[in-house]
Order: sequence, then structure tokens, then C-alpha cells
Amino acid sequence: MPDTTKADHVTIVMIEDDEGHARLIERNIRRAGVTNEIIPFADGTTALEYLLGPDGTGVNNARRALLVLLDLNLPDTTGVAILEKLKSNQHLKRSPVVILTTTDDEREIQRCYDLGANVYITKPVNYEGFANAIRQFGMFVSVMQVPTTD
Amino acid sequence: MSILSSNLARNTLSLMAAGTLVLISIMLFSFWLANATRDSVKLVETGRDVRIAASMILTDLIDAETGQRGYLLTGRDEYLQPYEATKAHLTESLSLLRSRARETPEISRDAKKIDELAAAKMQELTRTIEIYRSGNRDEAISLVQTDQGKKAMDEVRVVLDRIIKVMNQRVGDNLGHLETSARRLSWVTTIGGLSIGVFSALAFYFVASYTRSLVEARHEVQSLNETLEERVADRTTALSRANDEIQRFAYIVSHDLRAPLVNIMGFTSELEVGTSSLKSYFDAEEPTQDQTEAAKRTAEQDIPEALHFIRASTSKMDGLIGAILKLSREGRRELKRERVDLHAVMTQAASTLQHQVDSAGATIEIPDDLPSVVADRLALEQIFGNILDNAVKYLAQDRPGRITVTGEEAGGRVRIKIADNGRGIDEKDMERVFELFRRAGSQNRPGEGVGLAHVRALARRLGGDVTVTSKLGEGSTFEVDLPKKTRMKDTSAET
Repeated sequence: MPDTTKADHVTIVMIEDDEGHARLIERNIRRAGVTNEIIPFADGTTALEYLLGPDGTGVNNARRALLVLLDLNLPDTTGVAILEKLKSNQHLKRSPVVILTTTDDEREIQRCYDLGANVYITKPVNYEGFANAIRQFGMFVSVMQVPTTD
Repeated sequence: MSILSSNLARNTLSLMAAGTLVLISIMLFSFWLANATRDSVKLVETGRDVRIAASMILTDLIDAETGQRGYLLTGRDEYLQPYEATKAHLTESLSLLRSRARETPEISRDAKKIDELAAAKMQELTRTIEIYRSGNRDEAISLVQTDQGKKAMDEVRVVLDRIIKVMNQRVGDNLGHLETSARRLSWVTTIGGLSIGVFSALAFYFVASYTRSLVEARHEVQSLNETLEERVADRTTALSRANDEIQRFAYIVSHDLRAPLVNIMGFTSELEVGTSSLKSYFDAEEPTQDQTEAAKRTAEQDIPEALHFIRASTSKMDGLIGAILKLSREGRRELKRERVDLHAVMTQAASTLQHQVDSAGATIEIPDDLPSVVADRLALEQIFGNILDNAVKYLAQDRPGRITVTGEEAGGRVRIKIADNGRGIDEKDMERVFELFRRAGSQNRPGEGVGLAHVRALARRLGGDVTVTSKLGEGSTFEVDLPKKTRMKDTSAET
């Protein structure tokens, strides 16, 4: 039975190419009172390098509590490809992946859940909605249980 | 095909009509000749009857005269017998002549004359015999000696001769006509037969050639049907591809335009938050330590940061809209057809990159025998310029760059391959590199993600396409497939 970790020890890996979005997300998470470490990545390639490690097995992140915040539209690769890689990796497959993206295409949402995404949130263009969504997500993070990776 | 069949109908019908006409004329001619032959036969019969009648009349008259002479010499009644016998017979012969003369007007006058002459002769004979019987022998002899009877006889001979001659002439003429007609009939029959043969041959030829063209037309229709299916399939593929591209384009554009909007609105709200924090600092009589720190942070960090992001997002949006406008303008630009030497285009594109190539220690190989195409020069320059530019831009750092261009021409298509030994593209990103605003691999080089999308749109507009094969870390090969001659109306698949 894998250990579960209190939300405090959870590291949030944020993969978001738009610097402005990244900054707004971080601010609103902080406003929700979440103090966890947030590691931002602006593109998929470096994010995957971090998550899977130099050998590509993900063994470097074993026994860590990770929560991945993923944008689908990245400049170098698709978020779906990253999701696929994470969910098929034996060390990272239980780490929650939250899709946070502007795309509200029905098929895209279905596809992400099919691939094992845990939550799918659409970024509202209206900032009130956006900030609200992030804050609620932050509150959600503060109460959720995240398993450590194997 | 209806023109063909109505032609056939017209041709065969007119041939049939001509054949029938020939047959009818042969028939009419034969009928006419048969009539003419019957008339001639009748005429010949008449001629024979006239000749018989003439000779009988002459014989009768001579017999009658012989009887008269014998009686006058001997006075014996038995010498009168030929005279007596002749009287009845002569009437018969004369009536035969008369009846035949009615059918032949040329001799009717002579026949009448013979009638009169014969009557006169018989009258003279009867008178001399009667006078002799009454015992007046000398008077009878002197009556003979008047030569009245002899003259009548001579005249009878002359007139009969003339009648026979006329009849002979007529029969002769008629036989001549008959022979001419018979010869004509044989000609007409021969020519008619030949023409009917020719007409039949022509009709056969028409029917045969019609059948042949029917068969050919059927083959043509069949092959057209086959290629039609192919063409419809091709067109459907092109259309659904264009449709997919439009949807993808709309999706990308809406997403990419929305992202900076979220920033602008977000940081505008952040500015509001900052403003209220500053306001509470200024409103406070005695600001607390926290308020002071917050106000300081707001003024020094948050507000400049928010302004930076708003500015950056605005200029990003401007850039995106500019790129979309450029693509749209390119899509509308009218293409010009001209013969373009691809070697010259490649060399030109390579020379503009010479500086980067040299500083990277790379080489570009362009063969002299690249084919030429008929297409829009500017579009080709942009296509190959972009691909070469990418090849130079994404060379691998750990080995000297080598870019090789090759070209081949086959079946009305020209294929140009641009192979590099650069960093390559991951398999999952091979289609993505052609999408608008999307790039693949590590983002360590500047770029907007427009170049290859533009290249593909241009190539498709020229009736071709661009594809890539690549192996991550080993290099990529871009293949541009173009028609040898671009059809300019082929612009419907553009996006």
C-alpha cells in the first residue's frame, strides 16, 4: 500500500508556456493559502526532462508527492503527449494531473480523461472566473491526498 | 452518340431509298420494254398480214385476168372458173388489207386505192366477159386492147409494192428500236445491280463503323467512369483535408488569441488589486508594517510586472494578428505562371543564408541538374527559402552540418528533397511542425511557428504538398512534391 502524503509536502509541477498565465495561476494559488512549492516549466521538453529524469524512466522522482498542472497548448509538443507519457510511466502514473487549458473542445476533454487525466479545468477568458477557478483549485489542493510515487 | 445514330439512320435510309429507286427504274424500264416488244410483235404480225393480203390480192387479180383471157380466147366456160373462184376470195383479201390498214395509217390511202383499182379491174373483166357472152366477141377484144385492164394491173403492182415496202420499213425500224431498248435495259440492269451492290457495301460499312464507334464509346465511358471515381475520391480527400485544416486553423487561432487576452484581463485585475492595496496604504492614518510592505511590493514589483505582461500580451496579439493577416494575404495573392529553374531558386535561397551557414561550419549541396517547373516564382522562393532556413537553424550542435538537395522528375511531378543531419523531429511532432503557431523540440531558437504552415499552404496552392520524414537526433528530410506545370485555377484547397 503506497503512502499518502499530506498536502503540505506536495510539489506542484506547473507546465504552462504562457509566462503571464503562469504568474496569474501562481498568484491565485497563493491567494487561496496554498504554500506548496511550485516548479514552473514553460515548455513540454524541459518539463518532461525534469519529470522523467535524464534516463527517461522517472525513477528520479520515485517516492515524491507530485501534482501536475498541465496546459494542453504548448509550443513544442502537445499537453496530450505529456499526459500520455506521465500516465504510462510506472512511477508517475498515480500522480494527479490537472489539465488547465483554454481548450473547451468536447472531444479533447474526453480524450484527456480517457488517457487518465484527474481533473479538467477550462480557463475562463473573464478574469473573475479565471481567478475563482484557480482559487477553488488551490483550496482543493489544500485538502486532497496525493500518493507518493512508487 | 445521338448524333452518331441519327447520322447512321440518315445514311442507311438514304442508301435504301437510292437502292429502291434503282430497282423501280429497272422495273419501269423492263415494263416499258415488254410493252414495246408486244407492240413490235403486233406490228410484225400486221406486216405479215399486209404482205399476205397484198400477195393474195395480186394472185386473185392475176387469176381473174387469166380466167378472162382464157374465156375470151376459147369461148369455153370452164376457162372462166378461176375468174369465178377469185371474185369471193378477192373480197376477203381486200377486207383483210383494209382492216390492217386501219391499224397503220401510212398505208390507208394506198389500201383505199387498191380497193378502187381492184374494183375497177374487176369491173373491166366483168364487162368484157358480159360483152363476149352477148356474142359481141370483137368488141370485147377491142375493149381489152384499150390497155385499160393492163394499166390497172400495173398500177396495182406498183401500189402493192409500195405498201409492202412501207410495212417492211416500219417493221425494220421497230426492230431497231427494240434492239436499242434491249441494250439499254441490259446496261441499266448492270449499272443498277452494281449500284445496289455498292449501296449495300456502304450500308454495311456504315453499320460496321457505327458498331465500332459504339464499342469505342463504351470503352471510353468505362474508362471515364473509372477515372471519375478516382477523381471524385481525390477531390473528396482534398476537400476533407481542406476542411480539417480550416477547423484546425480556427481552433489554433481562437486558442492563441485567447491566451494573451486572459493575460491582459488578468493583469488588469491585478492592477486593480494593487491600486486598492496602495489606496489602503495612503488612506491609513498610520500604516501598519504589513500595509507599508504591501504597498512597497505593489509599487516596486506588482504594478511594473502587470504592465510588462499587459504590454507583452498586447504585442504578442499584434504579432499573431499580423501573421494571420500575412497568411491570408498570401492565400489571396494571385499566382503567376512562369518557368522557374529550381537550381537558381535554391542557389539564391542558399546565398542569403551564407553567413549563418559559414558561421555554423556547415555546407549546402545543390546539384546543377535540378528540374524546372512552371509555377509561381515567389511561392517557390518562399517554400524553399523557409525549408533551407529551418535546416540551417536547427542543425545539431555536435557535428558539422550537411544539407543536401536532390531532385527528380517523373510522371508530370517534380520531387525535391532537402535532407539535413540536424537535430531531427520526434515522430509525434512530424505533422505538428506544419501547424500554425506550433513548433517542435526544444525552444532554443527564435521563431513564431508560422514558416512551415505557410510553406505547406503555398505548396498545396501550387497543387503539391510538403511532407517530412525525420529521426530525432539524426536529421530530417523535407520532400516538396510539385506538379511539373501548375494549373492556376487550382486554388480552391487553400486555407
